[in-house]
Amino acid sequence: MNIFWQELRFYRRTTIIWMVAFAVGIFCYMSMFTAFSHDVSQSMKLLQGFPPAVRAALGIRIESFFTILGFFGYMLTYLWLIGGIQAMNLGTGILSKEISGKTADFLLSKPISRFKVITSKLAAALVIIFLTNIVFVASSYFSAMTFKTKDFDTNIFALTCLTMLFVQLFFLSLGFLISVLVPKIKSVLAFSLPIVFGFFIIGMLDTIIGAENARYLTPFKYFDVGYIATHSAYELRFILTEVVFVFFCIIASYVIYIRKDIQAPA
Amino acid sequence: MNIIETKKLTKFYGKTMGITNLDLTIHEGEIFGFIGPNGAGKSTTIRTLLGLIYPTSGSATIFGKDIIKFGPEIKEEIGYLPSEVFYYDNMKVIDLLKYSGSFYKKDSKIISKRIRELAKYLDLDLKKKIDDLSYGNKKKVGIIQGLLHEPKLIILDEPTGGLDPLMQQRFFDLLRDENKKGVTILFSSHILNEVQKLCDRVAIIKDGKIIKVDTIRSLAENTHKRFKLETAVRVDKSRFTGIKGISDLVITDNSVSFLFRGHINEITKIIASINLTNMLVEEPDLEEIFMHYYV
Repeated sequence: MNIFWQELRFYRRTTIIWMVAFAVGIFCYMSMFTAFSHDVSQSMKLLQGFPPAVRAALGIRIESFFTILGFFGYMLTYLWLIGGIQAMNLGTGILSKEISGKTADFLLSKPISRFKVITSKLAAALVIIFLTNIVFVASSYFSAMTFKTKDFDTNIFALTCLTMLFVQLFFLSLGFLISVLVPKIKSVLAFSLPIVFGFFIIGMLDTIIGAENARYLTPFKYFDVGYIATHSAYELRFILTEVVFVFFCIIASYVIYIRKDIQAPA
Repeated sequence: MNIIETKKLTKFYGKTMGITNLDLTIHEGEIFGFIGPNGAGKSTTIRTLLGLIYPTSGSATIFGKDIIKFGPEIKEEIGYLPSEVFYYDNMKVIDLLKYSGSFYKKDSKIISKRIRELAKYLDLDLKKKIDDLSYGNKKKVGIIQGLLHEPKLIILDEPTGGLDPLMQQRFFDLLRDENKKGVTILFSSHILNEVQKLCDRVAIIKDGKIIKVDTIRSLAENTHKRFKLETAVRVDKSRFTGIKGISDLVITDNSVSFLFRGHINEITKIIASINLTNMLVEEPDLEEIFMHYYV
């Protein structure tokens, strides 16, 4: 447990910054809903001015944009992007920082198995992600309640908010795998940003092209806010895809980490 | 009892050789020197013993237990100080040492007491941040984190870099004290003088292979001795020709010096026939022995 607590201490400040950024960002964005919903016809005209392909790529659905759920759902794509960066940074950094910071010798010469090391770090990363999501859901709900113009379905809202957790778990596990595959990651951000943006761009292109199977390629397309609103559920096939992906990444990370040689700090 | 025992321990990094068929036995309570230049395989051996890297073939035991199967259990009783020390920069020294101590089963109060004692002995400020420490002080942190749990085996990989001569002396005294308590020490270094000062036995490693294991005393005795003769008159070189075991012969007007390896009576007969004013017979230092194996 000492590694677990130590990791939470290491990431305390960063996690608080992410949480505050999410809470403030969501509140500021949602505060604009009042303005948009005040003059729907004018706002609708403005949105209709965009070409359909651009609207699709940006995730704007005119039919639902002027409800609090639809308004929140529009921003969710970008919140997933930000959340993906946080999770990818965390997943990539929590193990690789021991190599890049040259502290792996210190840690692994202690009487602890590598299985316990990786488990403690994974547990700490999961706790950080869960805590972030609690703040994310709470601040989203608070903002929605503050700026709503009509009552909304809280179940659908909760399901919509929880998509962030799934997206973050995807990137956390991917980052974890990358951190054990790449011998030395000097800059976590230089690794995680292009990867997350890459998935995001794939998602945008997929929307424009409209290829259904391409949705499997990126977690940004696993959750359709419109589908969630209509069915009060997620699409099972994408949940299964995500579960398989996450388990594959985590198991592969364990196998590689436990067997890999820790090279001397150069 | 053998504390460390390796059998044909081999490590390859891809196609590059690290160590080959390394057979090494270190007994309980000895200070064992492990010498060789950079790249000879010292660190590879140590990193394999600590489970930081895995052997390609062969096996090794510490305290009679397999290093891979019982890694965490073995490391409960090992203190390790690497050649270069790196810690979490944002931590305070005391927090890092407590974190280090938290890995061991020993009572945290005993560990805290030991940290304070060692810090006082090594003159280290526990309240400073790691990032603010000089390299020498980081090395002191390394020494404390390696000894705070009172290990039965101390593994030191070129440990003295960054320590000033006074601190080196204190460190050696500390190691001798630990050794008196029965602690076994594996001391890897390329600084031969410090190995000679501290160690009982020594292994010389070259190109990943052990080429000699012996006591320092025996190494010195069984290798060449340096003779320095001061003579009344110039000695003719022909007196030494044909004698087996003489090398590095230098003759001046009033002196003769050479290295000799062989039966001592043979050389004393020759010396007895020379008109001497003085004579010195020196044991070679470890550096000379080392060069003998390396050159």
